[in-house]
Amino acid sequence: MNFLPFSQFGPLTRRFAVVAIVLVAWTPCLVHATVDDALSFAYEAALPYYKQGYSVRKDAWGGDLGVRDKKAVSSQLFKGNNYWFLMATDVKSATLSVHIYDDNGNLVDAESWQRGRFAGARVSPKATGTFFAIVQILKSPEDRTPWALVYGYK
Amino acid sequence: MLHSEPPLGEGIFSRFPMNHLTCISSAVACLLLISSPIARADTPPKKIALSDFPAAAVEEVVVPVPSEIFAVLDKLGNPNWKAQLRDGKARTPEDRARTALLLGNVIAEGFVAVEAEDAERVKELGRQVLTLAEAINVRKSVIARSKSITDKADQRDWRGVRAEFDGALQDVRGAMQELNDQDLSQLVSLGGWLRGTEVLTSIVGGGFSKDGTELLHQPELVNYFDRCIGSMGGRLRKNPLVAGIRDVLRKIGPIVNEAGDKITPEQVKSIHELTHGVNRQIVEGTTGN
Repeated sequence: MNFLPFSQFGPLTRRFAVVAIVLVAWTPCLVHATVDDALSFAYEAALPYYKQGYSVRKDAWGGDLGVRDKKAVSSQLFKGNNYWFLMATDVKSATLSVHIYDDNGNLVDAESWQRGRFAGARVSPKATGTFFAIVQILKSPEDRTPWALVYGYK
Repeated sequence: MLHSEPPLGEGIFSRFPMNHLTCISSAVACLLLISSPIARADTPPKKIALSDFPAAAVEEVVVPVPSEIFAVLDKLGNPNWKAQLRDGKARTPEDRARTALLLGNVIAEGFVAVEAEDAERVKELGRQVLTLAEAINVRKSVIARSKSITDKADQRDWRGVRAEFDGALQDVRGAMQELNDQDLSQLVSLGGWLRGTEVLTSIVGGGFSKDGTELLHQPELVNYFDRCIGSMGGRLRKNPLVAGIRDVLRKIGPIVNEAGDKITPEQVKSIHELTHGVNRQIVEGTTGN
């Protein structure tokens, strides 16, 4: 394949190339921005629990998933604490879910809710150990939907 | 940015008096609710096979912040926290790995000082956090935290001080990750975990509460730290102190793999001695080799 210097393209091609380069250069920023936006919404979902005395961790998980794809997020939880896991996306018409399982794969949600782009699950561990928050995009107009998950404890 | 969001799904029908008219209203409300996103909540399976998840679909465990453990200890009773406090001030090491481990260690010590309600010690530890952070180029990330620790200790706002120590730990780690110092960031967490575990086993072993042994059941966390060290660069992995800690983790691993109620007092004592030994090396700079 021959490499063509930029000046050898025609004016229209050159303009297209400039736009393409700018878009490519911005793509990581855009993806990052949407995960950041998802995180803002996850903190928004956590706010009522913060007001109830839950300490919300600054650490968060996030990424993007296809519709019906699942991800398992592992956590060390302690018997005696209560935990709320809150998940969100910035894609307005998407719906998603989060549920908590113990290390034997048993559902241990004490309660859970799901409202459009927000979802939450509470767990009061009966024993200290490793737990898994299973996150899933149930519906989305996007091929890949950015998501973020935070948790609070008290 | 956080926005106000009312708690969901609570007391929806509590305001409906059950007369004829409101029966109809309730029925309408039910229909609306059925069509609402809340009512369409998914029904998760009661059991799943975690082995079905490929490794790429499983996120690594996040290391708990010390206050998650101290929150449980608060509920279990009121041990003699002053007896757990460590004396003296550690010198800032030249070795960056030891500095990172010591920084985590000092932050965990801050939690002990908070439990002991020792304001002077808390302030001293807050200053040490700043000095150690400076030694590994993340001073800026904790200046405000250090000041808040001092202010809140003066006000005896212990919950606030805890939040600041938690925040300091997370800010330092965040700043290190921004500097692409992932390995040192992990060492800060590990240093905190080692000091926290030493204190926890001292309290549990001292007969404070059998329920406390529950808190030691942390198999994935110990494996995670082991994996972290395994994936570090050769120089850091072969650092005598770091290698020694890995040996300790491999001795602790099989013990904390047991369910909490099966961990014996001898095993608690063993974990305590292992973590005490390695923490002394972190503070004093001796590797015992």
